[in-house]
Amino acid sequence: MGNLEAIVRKFQKELNAGTSALVLLAVLSRAEEPMYGYQIARLIEAGRDDVPVKQGALYPVLRSLEAGGLLESRVEPSISGPPRRYYRITETGRSTLARWQEIWNQTRSFVDDALKGGHDV
Amino acid sequence: MMSKAIEKYLNQLRQELLGCDAATVQDALSDAEIHLSSALENARAVQPETAEALLLQAIIDKYGSPDEVASAYREIEARVTPTLARPTYSDPKPFSARFLEVTYDPRAWGSMLYLLLSMATGMIYFTWAITGFYLSVGLAVLIIGIPFFGFFLLSVRGIALVEGRIVEALLGVRMPRRPIFDNRNLGLWERFKVLIRERTTWTSLVYMLLMMPLGIIYFTILIVGAALALSGIARPILQYVFDRPFAEIQGLNFYISDGFMPLVVIAGFVILILMMHLAKLLGRLHGSMAKSMLVRKHSI
Repeated sequence: MGNLEAIVRKFQKELNAGTSALVLLAVLSRAEEPMYGYQIARLIEAGRDDVPVKQGALYPVLRSLEAGGLLESRVEPSISGPPRRYYRITETGRSTLARWQEIWNQTRSFVDDALKGGHDV
Repeated sequence: MMSKAIEKYLNQLRQELLGCDAATVQDALSDAEIHLSSALENARAVQPETAEALLLQAIIDKYGSPDEVASAYREIEARVTPTLARPTYSDPKPFSARFLEVTYDPRAWGSMLYLLLSMATGMIYFTWAITGFYLSVGLAVLIIGIPFFGFFLLSVRGIALVEGRIVEALLGVRMPRRPIFDNRNLGLWERFKVLIRERTTWTSLVYMLLMMPLGIIYFTILIVGAALALSGIARPILQYVFDRPFAEIQGLNFYISDGFMPLVVIAGFVILILMMHLAKLLGRLHGSMAKSMLVRKHSI
């Protein structure tokens, strides 16, 4: 059933397109210090092994959030390897996150209701 | 620390990204390189016994295959409005703004510092290269000749790494840090052969020799430029406060006339800014030269 598998993956990918931006903003809004990509990826998957998004897909999202002004970044040399890009959430990012969270809550309850059914109006 | 397997992954990723915007490709490659090498380093520390290939397989599994990662970058590239994402592509700023921009460009200041330092580092490199080379030749007949030569070549590569750090910090050119030996289990004699065989050893040695004349040239350009600029900018103070003539020829003192004074000061600033542009340009040229001579390319 290669076809079904492909459809399932496509669905996951389309969901990720929105949720990974939300997750990244949430993680960075709670971070006390600027974080670099690998750190963020590790924090997201800490204690769970069912992360639906590939780590490599987080980086372009980080960059696009920065391009949109929701994050800002600076590059700092590291002692042990190539220089790292540290991300920090901006004020615009914080207010956007608040709005996104509302939308997420609405969407989640809407979808949950639809999936459970029996929620007759 | 860059392993061959990571290099291979990056090459595959580059293939998958064919046709993408150059900046996107660069972003994707640098994100992947940093992530994979950090993850590998981490995994090595936690599981030192496991084979590197196995560790990397698990890491890449989590990071995503080259085609998965490439498609993530492609999607973002398609979604983000190009004008918003890449403001540097077409520079709509007027010429005057771009001309003055250099004064608060950290790269220009870094380049100036590098050019200033290059005379000192150039002399050190040159002295070390010459001393080491002649000592190696002189000791060749003795039993310690070969070990000394090996040590000298290793020191050349070590200096290349250090110079790479300086270039990266001050000139802003990325100098990938690659281990001198890919294979950590080599014996001393094998390591010696690797050092002899690799092009980077010899280009680094040539670089060390070149740094002496280059350092002198850079230093002179910078000092002459700064002196010219400052003599223009400080002219009013020298003339009106300290009564110093502009020139003294055969006992006659020449002064700048009051009407010309603003022009002289402006000329001083213009020279200063031109010099900063020149320093930035030299820094960029020197950076790419340093990269081609000091960084080892992987043979895949």
